[in-house]
Amino acid sequence: MQESVTRPSSDGHAIVVEGLTRTFRRETAVDHVSFRVARGRFFGFLGPNGAGKSTTIRMLTGLLRPSSGDAVIEGARLSGDLLALKRRIGVLTEELPLYERLTGEEHLLFAARMHGLPATEARGRTHELLEFLSLADERGKLVVDYSQGMRKKLALACALVHGPSVLFLDEPLNGIDPVSGRVVTDLLRRLTARGVTLFFTSHVLDVVERLCDEVAVIDHGRIVAQGTLAEIRSQRALSGDASLEDVFLRLVSADVKRENLSWIG
Amino acid sequence: MDRLIALVGLRFRLEARAISGSRGRKFGLLLALPALAFFSAATALGVFALVGLVSRTEPSLLLPALSAIATLFGLTWALSPLLAGIAATETHDLTRLLSYPVPLTTLVASSLIANLLQPTVLAQVPPLAALALALGGSRWPLAFFGLALGLLLVLAAGQTTGIALHALSRNRRIHDRVVFVGIGLGVLLSLFPILMLSRGGSAARRLVVPLLERDVFLLSPFAWGARAAVHAGRGEGLAFVGFSLAVTVALAATVGVSTVLAHRLYRGELDTGEATARGASRAPMRLPGAVGAVVEKELRVVWRDPRLKAVSLSGVIGPLLLLFLLGQGSAAGIGPAQLFSVASMAGLGVIGANSFALERQGLGLLLGFPVDRLAILVGKNLALVVLRGPVLVSLALAALVLAGPGVVPAVASLVLVTQVIGSAADNYLSILFPIAVPAAGRDPNAPIAGTRGLGAAAMGLVAMIATLVGAAPFAFLAWLPHLLAERWLWLLTLPLAIAGASAVYFMATSGAARLLERREQDLLASLRGEE
Repeated sequence: MQESVTRPSSDGHAIVVEGLTRTFRRETAVDHVSFRVARGRFFGFLGPNGAGKSTTIRMLTGLLRPSSGDAVIEGARLSGDLLALKRRIGVLTEELPLYERLTGEEHLLFAARMHGLPATEARGRTHELLEFLSLADERGKLVVDYSQGMRKKLALACALVHGPSVLFLDEPLNGIDPVSGRVVTDLLRRLTARGVTLFFTSHVLDVVERLCDEVAVIDHGRIVAQGTLAEIRSQRALSGDASLEDVFLRLVSADVKRENLSWIG
Repeated sequence: MDRLIALVGLRFRLEARAISGSRGRKFGLLLALPALAFFSAATALGVFALVGLVSRTEPSLLLPALSAIATLFGLTWALSPLLAGIAATETHDLTRLLSYPVPLTTLVASSLIANLLQPTVLAQVPPLAALALALGGSRWPLAFFGLALGLLLVLAAGQTTGIALHALSRNRRIHDRVVFVGIGLGVLLSLFPILMLSRGGSAARRLVVPLLERDVFLLSPFAWGARAAVHAGRGEGLAFVGFSLAVTVALAATVGVSTVLAHRLYRGELDTGEATARGASRAPMRLPGAVGAVVEKELRVVWRDPRLKAVSLSGVIGPLLLLFLLGQGSAAGIGPAQLFSVASMAGLGVIGANSFALERQGLGLLLGFPVDRLAILVGKNLALVVLRGPVLVSLALAALVLAGPGVVPAVASLVLVTQVIGSAADNYLSILFPIAVPAAGRDPNAPIAGTRGLGAAAMGLVAMIATLVGAAPFAFLAWLPHLLAERWLWLLTLPLAIAGASAVYFMATSGAARLLERREQDLLASLRGEE
C-alpha cells in the first residue's frame, strides 16, 4: 500500500495542525484549531469539560473525520493514508476501549500482534509492561473484572506496546493510584527524553505544570493560548508566580462561584 | 408512607421517561397497549366459556387442570427475570436506592406495589374476574379474592427471583452463567409447544394426563389461590379458608424472603465471592498474523460472553427445527433433497452478525490498529464460520443418521458455501447498517444511538437474496451428482464448489474492505450517535 506521507517537516515538528474543525449537527465542537508541537515535547492540551479536547484527540488519531482542516503527525497526513498515521501513534482515549472478555495478558498480546510485532517480541514486551505497571498478578483476570485504575494502566500499556513516536494520552492519570501514577509519569518523562512526543490532557493542573514543556488551552472549541507557562504568563500580563491554575481560570473566563449555600452558611 | 409513594412515583417516572425518550418504544407501546387490552378481553371470554364447559362436562378435572395452569403461569412469571436477562430487570435493582435512609422493607414493598400497577399485571385482572365469575357464580367475590391472592404470590415470587438474581449478578461469573441459563431456558420454553404438539399432540397427552390424574399440582403454592377460588364457588367454606390461609402464608414468606435477601445480599453479608483469576497459565494469541489475532480475539470474546455465545449456539436450532418440521409434514420422512434444502438455507444464519456494532467501545481500538481492513474482515468472518460450526456439525450428523454417510460431505459443503458467501454479504451490512447495542450492564431499553431498524431489516433481506443468488451456482454443483445419481462426481464438484465460493468471497470482501476504509470514521461516529 502506498503511503501518502509528506516528508518529515524540516522544522522538527511532530504534530502540525492547521484549521482543524469539527461540527456535530449545528454545534461546532472544534473550531479552526491550529498549533504545532515540536518533536520530543511534553505537550499539555487543556480545557474545561466540553471544550473540545477529546474531539481534537479523536480527529488527530484518525477516529473522527474532521469537517475541515488537516494535520500532519510525524509526516503522515490525516487526510491521507490513515494506516500510515496509525503506525506512528499510540492512543489512550477517555473511553478506554477495551475488550472486557479478554484477560489483561491476552489483550496486550492482541494489541502487540495487531501492531505487527513478531510473536516472541510481543510476548516479551507484554510481560515487561505487565510487570512494569504492576498488572502481572492480574494478567489472567478478565478485563471486565479490572478496577478503573487497572483498566487505565492496561489501556496505557496497549498504547505503548509498539513503541510509537507520538503518544496521545487523554487523562492518563485519572483513577490511577499515587504509586502507579509516579511510575507512569517517570515513564512518560523517559519517553520524551528519548524523542517521543507526548500529547497529554489532564484536569489535574499541577501535574500538567510539573510535566509539560508547553501547553495549549482550548475553550469553546478554539485555542485561546499556546506556549510555555512563562510565555502565556507574559502574554496575559500575569505575575511570575501565577500558577497554571490561575492562568487557566483567567484564560477560560471561569466564573468561580463564591456564594454560600443557605443551609450550610 | 411518603417515601413509599415517592419510590413508586420514581419508578413510574423513570419508565415513562424511558418510553418518551425513544420513538421506537413509543410506537411499540401504541401497538402493545391495544393488543394487550384485546388479548386480555379475549382471554377473559375464553376463560369464562372454557371453565363453564369443564365445570359442566368434567367437574372432577377442574381442580387439577386449574392448578396445573396456575402453576405454569406462576413458574413462568417467577422465572421472568431470568428469561428476560438480568440487565432487563432494572426494576428489581435496589442498588441505587441503598444510600438513602429508607428501610429495606419499604424498598421491597415499593417495588412490589409498582409491579402491581404495570400494564401486563393489570391485563390479568379481566381474565381473573371472568374466572371468578365462572367459578363462583353468586360467590364470585370470594373466588376473586382467592385468585387475587394467587396473583400477588406470583408477583412476589417474581420479585424475589429478580432481587436474588440482581444481587448475585454482581459477581460477573454468576452473572454470565445466569444469563446463559436464562437464554437457554427461554429457547427450550419456546420449543416446548412445538414438541408437545408434534404427532398430533401425543407427547403432550403422555406427559400431562398422568400429572392431572394424580393432582400433583396440589403441592404447588401457585395453585393454592386457584384452588381457594374453586372451593369458594362450590360453597366449601373450610377448604376455601384453608387454601386462602395457605396462599397468604406463602405470600408473607415470599415477601419476607425478598426482604431478607435484599438485606443480606445488598449489605454484603452474603458474599457472592470474587471472580477468580484464570487462564494465567495458558499461552494466548497463538494464531499467526493480524488475521490470526482477530480470529483468536473474536473466539475468546464470544465464547466468554454469555449473550454472544447463546446467539452463536442458538443458530443450531433453526436448521434442526426446519428438518423436524419437514419430517412432520412428509409421510416418507427426510431424504437427501430435504437435507440439501435445509443445508442451503442454514448458512444464511451468518447474516445479521452485526459484527462491528457488537464491538461496542472496542471498535475504536480495533480500527485504531494499523492493520489492513481486509485482514480484519477476514478474521471476523473466519471466527464467525468457526462459531457457526455447530450448525455444520449438527446438520452433518442429521445427514448421517437420516440419509447415510454418502451425503454428509455434500451437506457440509452446502452449509459452508452459503456461510462463506453469506459472510461476504454480511460485511456490507455490518459496515453500512450497524445496529448499535447498549454496553454490557447498561439498560437494554435505553434509547440507543445509531440504530437503523427498518433500513437494517430491509438490507438484511437484500443480503439474504444476494447470498442465495451468489451461492446458487456452487449449491448446484453440490446437488448435481445427486440429481444425476452419480455420487462419485462429488469428488470433483464439491472442491469446485468450495473453491468457487471462496473466490466470490474474496472478491466481495475486498470491496467491503475498501468500503470500510472509506467509512470507518463514519461508522464510529454513527455508533456514538454523532451522525
